[in-house]
Amino acid sequence: MAQRGELILETRKLTKHFGPTVALNAVDFKIYRGQITGLIGENGSGKSTITSIAAGMQPPTSGEMFFKGQPHHPSSMIEGIECGIGMIVQEQGTVPGISVAENIFLGEEKKFGKVLISRRKMQEEARKVLENIGLTNVDPAAPIESLNMQDRKLVEIAKTVYMKPEMLVVDETTTALSQSGREIIYDIMKKMRDDDKAVVFISHDLEELMEICDTLTVLRDGNFIATLDKEDFDEDLIKKYMVGREMTGDYYRSDYGTPISDEVVLKVDDVTTGEGMLMNFSMELHKGEILGIGGLSHCGMHELGKACFGETPVLRGTVTHVASGEKITTALNAMKHGLGYVSKDRDKEALVLTESIADNIVSAGYDKLKKGIFLMPSDTKKYVDKQVKDLSIKCASVKQDVQYLSGGNKQKVVFGKWIGRECDILILDCPTRGVDIGVKAAMYALINEMRLAGKSIIMISEEMAELIGMCDRLLILKDGQQSGEFFRSEDLNENDIIEVMI
Amino acid sequence: MSEAAVKTKKPSKVNARLIGDMAPYIGLVLVVVVFYILTGGALLNGTNIQAMANNVITTAMCTIGAVFVFAAGYFDMAVGGALCFSAVLGAMATISSGSLFVGAIVILAVSLGLGCIKATLASFVNVPFFIFTIILGSIFSAIVLVIMGKETTVLLKNAVKPIPELDFTQMSIISVICLAVFFILCLIAFRYTPIGPKAKNMGGNVFAAKQSGISKTKTTFTVFIIGAIGIAIAAFLLMLRTRTVGATTAGSVGNDVMVALVLGGMPLSGGPRSKISAGLIGSITITVLNSGLVILGLNTGEVQIIRGIVFIVVVLVSSLSYRGKLLPR
Repeated sequence: MAQRGELILETRKLTKHFGPTVALNAVDFKIYRGQITGLIGENGSGKSTITSIAAGMQPPTSGEMFFKGQPHHPSSMIEGIECGIGMIVQEQGTVPGISVAENIFLGEEKKFGKVLISRRKMQEEARKVLENIGLTNVDPAAPIESLNMQDRKLVEIAKTVYMKPEMLVVDETTTALSQSGREIIYDIMKKMRDDDKAVVFISHDLEELMEICDTLTVLRDGNFIATLDKEDFDEDLIKKYMVGREMTGDYYRSDYGTPISDEVVLKVDDVTTGEGMLMNFSMELHKGEILGIGGLSHCGMHELGKACFGETPVLRGTVTHVASGEKITTALNAMKHGLGYVSKDRDKEALVLTESIADNIVSAGYDKLKKGIFLMPSDTKKYVDKQVKDLSIKCASVKQDVQYLSGGNKQKVVFGKWIGRECDILILDCPTRGVDIGVKAAMYALINEMRLAGKSIIMISEEMAELIGMCDRLLILKDGQQSGEFFRSEDLNENDIIEVMI
Repeated sequence: MSEAAVKTKKPSKVNARLIGDMAPYIGLVLVVVVFYILTGGALLNGTNIQAMANNVITTAMCTIGAVFVFAAGYFDMAVGGALCFSAVLGAMATISSGSLFVGAIVILAVSLGLGCIKATLASFVNVPFFIFTIILGSIFSAIVLVIMGKETTVLLKNAVKPIPELDFTQMSIISVICLAVFFILCLIAFRYTPIGPKAKNMGGNVFAAKQSGISKTKTTFTVFIIGAIGIAIAAFLLMLRTRTVGATTAGSVGNDVMVALVLGGMPLSGGPRSKISAGLIGSITITVLNSGLVILGLNTGEVQIIRGIVFIVVVLVSSLSYRGKLLPR
């Protein structure tokens, strides 16, 4: 067993219920100083639940917690941070409508003046806080909405680190970050460990966890399964603990040399977008093809996905649905021609969180389900049940609010919206962001099935392994323009791609 | 994939949700019982029930229509102004033509026109809609004053031809039938056509709605037109019942609609938790509350204060429970 530091957090029989769902089932869990403790499990296994309870985001249903040897029951995140637990959450945690600096010092404004707040001092201090984590390209005076998702997440990280927590929880944050962003957060975690602080790192990227963490705790369906020390890390064993059955090998496509159809289904011609930095970009998507789009976070790939679905204004150029010859200019128009779009930012753009699973799935399919002007409940039920069954969405009921689902199950609901419509062209922007290996494997299998059924897929991803493993063709973007094109090959590796990416 | 992910537990939490759903009905029963006792039974005597039935119609028609508007995320504070505007112009048309039919057409046309103005502002102008409605309500009332000139009221008895007069019972029967038909049609539209789900989707997350192919413009116009139909029927029945309309007609309806929605268990922010029943239940509750307070001898100002307190308490309680439900997992 590895040398452990002082015990900082302990849970005893910690239990949490969400309505009829048991999210945590009498979990005993220990966190030590001087360690990066990885927390892994399938979506819905209880990882975020246990850490959010410790951080004061929600109370447990029953059980005990001890922090630094004392009983611990924070009633809010503020109380949690006062105790010394900082948490960077999976989804967006910044407040819109205010500046970067105001976000960092939210609730701490008195530091910059008792009556009149000095914005200049606040911004100067914010700049130091940002530079402390290596974030030099963000203007503290800028409105938070002007930043992209990665930079907003890094601002959030800077804010949490500024609080100097004794225990830092990083909850599936890296999935929203590019490699450079990930490096920043890895450095922060390692520094905290070296300073004898504790770090809990939640991620679905097993490779990342195995590299960064000193110990790994596996949860499954709300139950504690095992804790492994670094020397005992074994990918197949961890996967087995996570899913409760043997899972060996990878889950990408195994076919190579499959010819791509000559039939072009979607044509992007000389497109420049109003948002982001896609410039004079052209491409063709073929029938039955998985076309990968990769690049660094600011390369314009996400804007490309939106432009293809008519979701972002196109300043110049056209996106054409080839079969009909019609230009795609709105989401409605895109859907009419059989396009579907899975957004990267699912909570903000793809789901109504307070709405039920059923209503979310149906939301893109009214035109398919309508009989005259009516929606028949029996048709709707059949439509929803099929998606829930086919996609194995874990839920107590289809009437359950989507907000209570884990990240992976939320993503399945988004998939369900489009698969229910039987889209011919599916644009997937980071489709496996924040989902576990079990769900990933299921999604890859589904994407491959759709390819075999003649559907065309644009897969935008920041994970190179995913792009190499799944795509027939891969376009790399740099500064809004194509910097490389690769075809599916067993010899294709990440180094080849990185060369044209950077 | 593991199938044992979801386990069920004791049903107490499920019951808590059921109690939450039943809260507006419990509130209504509570209000009726409390005021029945406080008024020594006067609340539920035959005359007062008829009076309440007539009063509830105006609020309920407007509120049921407003459920669509609020569900789509539009905070409409100009319902009272639109009702007054439609009723006054309708009454003027009735007087000058001597025909109730012409009056009804004018009321409908004016109300739909105002609804379309609101929908246009909500769809195409990038300013929070409630800001417009604060101003619109005042503008509608001001235009009525301008149109009426020196007159303070428009009386149907001054019509060029006699306008049929309905007695109390006849008026109650027509009103109840109109309400029942409108409620059922709205219920069907809200639950069994894409109109309701699209409105709730838009109110819940306008970005997600857009990405799901829900047209903001089309949905916005649809909900405001339904709202306008509710206002038009309310205006017509009000004109028919009171036979007198003026610049102060339906002055409290705008507030009543909001209080009724809240008492009916609907969040004013709209979205997925919106429900048609909120319009009806809330309207009955606010009418019983108003009636009970008046029977107890409270003056208009005191009634307004108590209604305001009730409104704030219900909003506070529902927002606390809403926050609880938004906790991340």
